Amino acid sequence: MAATYSLGIDIGGTFTDIVAFDPLSGRAFIWKESTTPDDPARGVMAGIARLLGAHGIAPAQIGRVVHATTLFTNALIERKGARTGLITTAGFRDVLEIGRERKYELYDIFIEMPRPLVPRPWRREVPERLASDGTIVTPLDVAACVAEAGALVAEGVESLAIVFLHAYANPVHERTAAEAIAARFPSLSISLSSDIAPEIREYPRASTAVANAYVRPLSEIYLQRLEQEIAAAGIPGSLHLMLSNGGLTHVDEAKRAPVQLLESGPAAGALAGAWFGRNAGLERVLAFDMGGTTAKLALVDDGQPLVAWGFEAARERRFLRGSGLPIQIATVELIEIGAGGGSIARRSELSTLHVGPDSAGAQPGPACYARGGTEATVTDADLALGCLNADFFLGGAMAIDAPAAEAAVGRLAAALAVEPARAASGIQDVVNETMAGAARVAIAERGRVPHEYALMATGGAAPVHAWGVARKLGIRRVVCPPGAGAGSTIGMLMAPARVDRVASLNLPFAEADMAAIEETFARLENEAAPLVAATGADLARRDTRWLADMRYIGQGSEVTVAMPRPLSPEAVRAAFEAEYRRLFGRTPPGAAIQFVALRLSLSAPVPGAEGRLDLAAASGGTMLKGSRPVHFAEAGGMVGTPVYDRYALPPGFAAEGPAVFEENESTFVVGPGARIALLPDGSLVADMPEAT
Amino acid sequence: MPRLDPVTLELVWTRLVSAVDEAAKAIVRTSFSTLSNEANDFACVLTDAEGRSLAQNTGSIPSFIGTLPGTVRALRDAIPPASMQPGDVYITNNPWIGTGHLNDISIVRPIFREGRVAGYAATTSHVPDIGGRIRSTEARELFEEGFHIPPMRLMRDGVVDQTLLTLLRTNVRTPDQTEGDVWAQVGAVSLIDDRVRRTMDSYRLDGLEAVADEIFDRSEAEMRRRIAGVPDGCWRYVMQTDGLDAPFTFAVEVRIAGGEAHVDFTGTSPQQPRAVNCVFAYTRAMTVFTLKALLLPEVPNNEGIFRAIHIHAPEGSILNPRWPAAVGGRAATGHYVPVLIFGALAEALPDKVRAAPGSPLWIMNIAGTDPAGRSFANVFFFNGGTGAGAAQDGVDCISWPSNISATPIEVAERTAPVLIHHKRLRPESGGAGHQRGGAGQETVIECESDDVAAVFVTERIRFGAPGLFGGGAGAPGAVLLDGVPADTRRQQTLAKGTRVTIATPGGGGFGGS
Repeated sequence: MAATYSLGIDIGGTFTDIVAFDPLSGRAFIWKESTTPDDPARGVMAGIARLLGAHGIAPAQIGRVVHATTLFTNALIERKGARTGLITTAGFRDVLEIGRERKYELYDIFIEMPRPLVPRPWRREVPERLASDGTIVTPLDVAACVAEAGALVAEGVESLAIVFLHAYANPVHERTAAEAIAARFPSLSISLSSDIAPEIREYPRASTAVANAYVRPLSEIYLQRLEQEIAAAGIPGSLHLMLSNGGLTHVDEAKRAPVQLLESGPAAGALAGAWFGRNAGLERVLAFDMGGTTAKLALVDDGQPLVAWGFEAARERRFLRGSGLPIQIATVELIEIGAGGGSIARRSELSTLHVGPDSAGAQPGPACYARGGTEATVTDADLALGCLNADFFLGGAMAIDAPAAEAAVGRLAAALAVEPARAASGIQDVVNETMAGAARVAIAERGRVPHEYALMATGGAAPVHAWGVARKLGIRRVVCPPGAGAGSTIGMLMAPARVDRVASLNLPFAEADMAAIEETFARLENEAAPLVAATGADLARRDTRWLADMRYIGQGSEVTVAMPRPLSPEAVRAAFEAEYRRLFGRTPPGAAIQFVALRLSLSAPVPGAEGRLDLAAASGGTMLKGSRPVHFAEAGGMVGTPVYDRYALPPGFAAEGPAVFEENESTFVVGPGARIALLPDGSLVADMPEAT
Repeated sequence: MPRLDPVTLELVWTRLVSAVDEAAKAIVRTSFSTLSNEANDFACVLTDAEGRSLAQNTGSIPSFIGTLPGTVRALRDAIPPASMQPGDVYITNNPWIGTGHLNDISIVRPIFREGRVAGYAATTSHVPDIGGRIRSTEARELFEEGFHIPPMRLMRDGVVDQTLLTLLRTNVRTPDQTEGDVWAQVGAVSLIDDRVRRTMDSYRLDGLEAVADEIFDRSEAEMRRRIAGVPDGCWRYVMQTDGLDAPFTFAVEVRIAGGEAHVDFTGTSPQQPRAVNCVFAYTRAMTVFTLKALLLPEVPNNEGIFRAIHIHAPEGSILNPRWPAAVGGRAATGHYVPVLIFGALAEALPDKVRAAPGSPLWIMNIAGTDPAGRSFANVFFFNGGTGAGAAQDGVDCISWPSNISATPIEVAERTAPVLIHHKRLRPESGGAGHQRGGAGQETVIECESDDVAAVFVTERIRFGAPGLFGGGAGAPGAVLLDGVPADTRRQQTLAKGTRVTIATPGGGGFGGS
């Protein structure tokens, strides 16, 4: 029996999504199993058994398994990682605790800063010192390293991070210390800052190395168990892990540096946006996912989600930058906003309309769920505006109390002294403005303009709001792929194997030796290639990107520039200046350039990760279900709108807006004048009319 | 114009804030000095046509948020709006109308709508160098403190005033970086101008007045309601600080009556012939910041909040000096203002105030020539611990009331000829009490070049941060050169191998232990 199927597993907080996909036929089957937090592998295996059983797929047909999980992120948030120690340069054990010395919120007199993952008694110092160019100022005291590690082990420390100043410039002391400690304490897990995040700035580098050490024992146990269970179930395919950077890796690499997996779930969602975008022939996509509590935005350029070179984990306040632990790891860049279907609308202190970030969640949920929620939420407003159908919620599986939604919106309207209709449209408008505002800032940060992008709506609430958000951003095209609920799991199955590597290079451009830079890139590629090959990826079709972080001397932040090949000083300067101008409009006069770091990004397709998707076979039923009034801001009120059964749309379907497309997990709402088309992969594309 | 409904108001306001946030991102990424891009020593503000603040970037520092609208108003007084044209960009660093010292250059761009000024985009940023003495408290007059730019036009029709630029470049130690930071700001105000005009288009507004009036009126009403919740009365506080040869006295009376707050600093020490004077604009900014943080933290900063607050500082005092007083170290003085107000209101609002922080920002400026012969000028920041509250210990080593991060050690060692021997908490430095004050830190910096000029801004070396309700004072700070206490009010010269120890003060405790 040919092992043609790929299996995708995405463990979320509530549900574990499992998808079986046959790239030859394009057939995909989806199953949602409740997550089992005490032993996540149990829920995974139960779900796999049910999914395979339901569709008559034998375990032996599974050629590979791809996995994303929020387990490690949750371990950081809940502080349930290993007992972790730190060995660092004498004089600097408090760097981890002192942090940036900066508040994330100005007016909060009672601000709490994130606690370090390693308490002070477990932060130990050893004599050693490197200068900023990596030369040795004070030799490493190896005996002290072993003694301090011994003391930590005696106190029950299971995992150790080693962070020395300027180790990004020279890893020799960190490596020597690790070798000596490992020889003496072979079962101690050791993470090096020069290995995990070799970048200048001691606090974020230490934070990253420590976070890795903190989740590493957990990841070793969990991944080993999952691998064994999968083998025991008769699945021959090997296990691959989704990384935060949107690529895949194998189990050993995931165990070595699990900090790379923290954002694997959201990265998979962005990849799904990229994949459906490529299918629709779109170069630039703004992936927009909106669930019950949060909305996530990701920019996809040329079919690739944008990757940031750092993010924050375990924030004290989820939506406030600066309130988390810095993690210097390549990560699909996501903007998270406290806006979802459950976001609560309230009268603000100044009697204006506020929406979110507080959410009614699933319990009590929106007022219309009739589970005790009394405050108006975004979902209640969507219902009152005709965007949602009370009789077809979750495909009719859930009873909805429309009068309760109206009453909740009515109470808010009275509090604001506006008409109920204005309150309802206002809730939608304000939550859309919040999301559009975040998108605008994120897009501007990259020197792009919104109208170059198409908006890709996934998740329960995004298809309802995408049209309104796109109008605010000046985006002309909205795409809604099929099977909104399982998007991220599908994205994972389409992911390439990918490795990102960084090398510090603090050097004025004028002093840079292009041959030496080429050698560094070659070294990084030689390190990365075996990791990519080990996932079974096709190295012959590799995509190698040489990037450099550069800036004008004296600036504190860098621009990441794609390096021209072959390298020459003239071409590198031109590439930097072009990128700088694209981002900031002009280059400063007379300023000198420097390198800060070199980055290698190597990816290669994994067999089975290509092909089309067949989720949306036409049901053959009646395509047009009826019509209802739906509110559109551009029409200034309610407009009679045809309602389509999305499963019944025939190939080649086209229509003009307004229109509503209902499927089980979501409803795609398209405004007046739009030109709508159904793509072969089941995605619906709606283009704005010229005049708006 | 009809009044805006509460939904439209929220929509427009949200969009204006995002416009200013976009501009802040542009400054962070394009500025040259580590001050702007690592320490966030800048701000972006949008005002209405009268120069009243409507929106400012999320996360900027309180002083700049408070002073920048005043800068716009003073600029309007100096240059009649009728003479302004679309595309004009104005500049000043006058301390009295700016941020209180010459090192911050403010840039203002009028935003036009249908041929008249509808509002102003304004930014201010701490440039790497402005000439003069290196932020020395020894300056006796403003004229010693650097290059002074009165309110002037920098650009018209896309053409920059080359004379002004040449003079600026000639008078500063870091011409490329200082000019680069000016351009970063010009980019930011231009971005705000564009976004605000688009917003007016989207919502068919013929100006910002309708939005401004709604925001101000609603904010004012809510602030009055909050003030009315504070017990009426006259609340006083007096505190001594390090001063110069003799200690300074800071005195405040906060009178709460009829939903208004009257803050009076009468009794505060007279202005000094040293660079420790804090201009009234800065005093005012710190006062309104404190009252807003105490009473209405959740509403975005805007002019309406401040209408019910009346502030008096006697002219000729260190909190309201007369021209041409030296003002370079004004932050260390101005940062006592929140402490005074907390102290005064402790009885009235015991659950809201905190004991004194040990952290008026500490600064070390060094300048000279490195062993390779390149000249350098660097500034390093250090923070102490904050004071404890009724139910919370103080926070260790955090910028308060300002919001300036420390430069990373690895960046400092790469940009200046220094080797840092340690940077660690001073665990016992927080004041004792039912709740402990936050700890300060100790850093030892070795100079690797000869003949380096070092200038310090320090406070609480003689007098630790006082506690509240019986809480102990935080440990005082110290600056040592090779182990010997240094006079931080005078410029010091460091030799190769000199070790500078900087120990920042702890915060005050709260309640008896």
